[in-house]
Amino acid sequence: MRPAASVLVRVYPARWRARYGEEFLGVLEERPLGPFDVVDVLLGALDAHLHLRGLGAASEHRKGFTMTLRLGGYAAIAGGFLFFIGLAAASALGDAGGVFILMFAAGAAALLVALAGLSAFQARRYPKLVWAAFVLPAIGAVVTIIGVLGIVLVGDGRFVGQWSAWYVWSFGLMALIIGSAMFAIATFLTHSLSRPAAIVLVVSSVALVPVGMGLDILSFIPDTFAPIAMGICALAFSLGWIALGVSAVRLDNPGRIAQQGAN
Amino acid sequence: MEQSRMPELGRFAEPALLILVSLSGGPKHGYAIMGDVEAGTGRPMGPGTLYAALARLEERGLVEALPPVDRRRPYRLTGLGSTVLADQLRDLAAFAALGLRRLEGATG
Repeated sequence: MRPAASVLVRVYPARWRARYGEEFLGVLEERPLGPFDVVDVLLGALDAHLHLRGLGAASEHRKGFTMTLRLGGYAAIAGGFLFFIGLAAASALGDAGGVFILMFAAGAAALLVALAGLSAFQARRYPKLVWAAFVLPAIGAVVTIIGVLGIVLVGDGRFVGQWSAWYVWSFGLMALIIGSAMFAIATFLTHSLSRPAAIVLVVSSVALVPVGMGLDILSFIPDTFAPIAMGICALAFSLGWIALGVSAVRLDNPGRIAQQGAN
Repeated sequence: MEQSRMPELGRFAEPALLILVSLSGGPKHGYAIMGDVEAGTGRPMGPGTLYAALARLEERGLVEALPPVDRRRPYRLTGLGSTVLADQLRDLAAFAALGLRRLEGATG
């Protein structure tokens, strides 16, 4: 094997070498290599890199695309679960529910990841709509987490200016819930993920908003059932997110993604 | 007959045509194609150009690789490659005839 020929073959991309490398090396070794041959081979290698780059980029794009969908799906499932368990347990246990409010914060963080992942997936076709619907719930999730940290650190005391951590937390939670409704509407319009799940998320979010804002809309319900009604709304909200996550994870296989990409 | 048209091969269109003509005489491996092209045109075809054009022709289904013999892998025309080459040569022949007629008209 002539070293010069071997070096020239190595200038080509690995995928190209896997297909043509052996026979190409044979051709190079058939005769002495002149300057014309060397320049020609180098230009051929450049062409091979450029020619294969499109295929490689498409593959990388597909990988990144699959990753965002999978990450978003699992984060939505985890976020929905943690959100409900954390909220329900912290509400039921009051001051003794410190661990659960942290679980609630973890749920908000997971929902933030879910929002980013699923929005990136859906934004391929409707970027303006999807990213517009992403902003509010993302801010809400971040403020919610900050509020929870404030509750843990300063309790009922002032946290940001005149605002207590509870106020910050409530503000973030409202933004997250209203934003979730906007995100679900965008999801419904894009037809990318489960539309029934999007409907559940919209309806439950709309139901949770007045409750969360302290509006007395449950006055027609007997006191005994009011917490149950609120719990059902929160459960539906979490189930909406979980169902969206499941639909994203189920979509995450090459055939279905290719079908989505072709739409 | 859209399918039998020569695909766009950019700067490799001419080397691709030369390779197809070379393979129209029977299967050949890379080094034999280079020798055949040089003998037919009087101009050498570099190995980088040969394999860049060959890869495109194989990708478009105009040529196909045969099982290798030692390190040499022969290529042959496919049915589509034969059709495309025939159409291309007829177009070139008609173009050449047109040019010759015009030249004769101008000088005659």
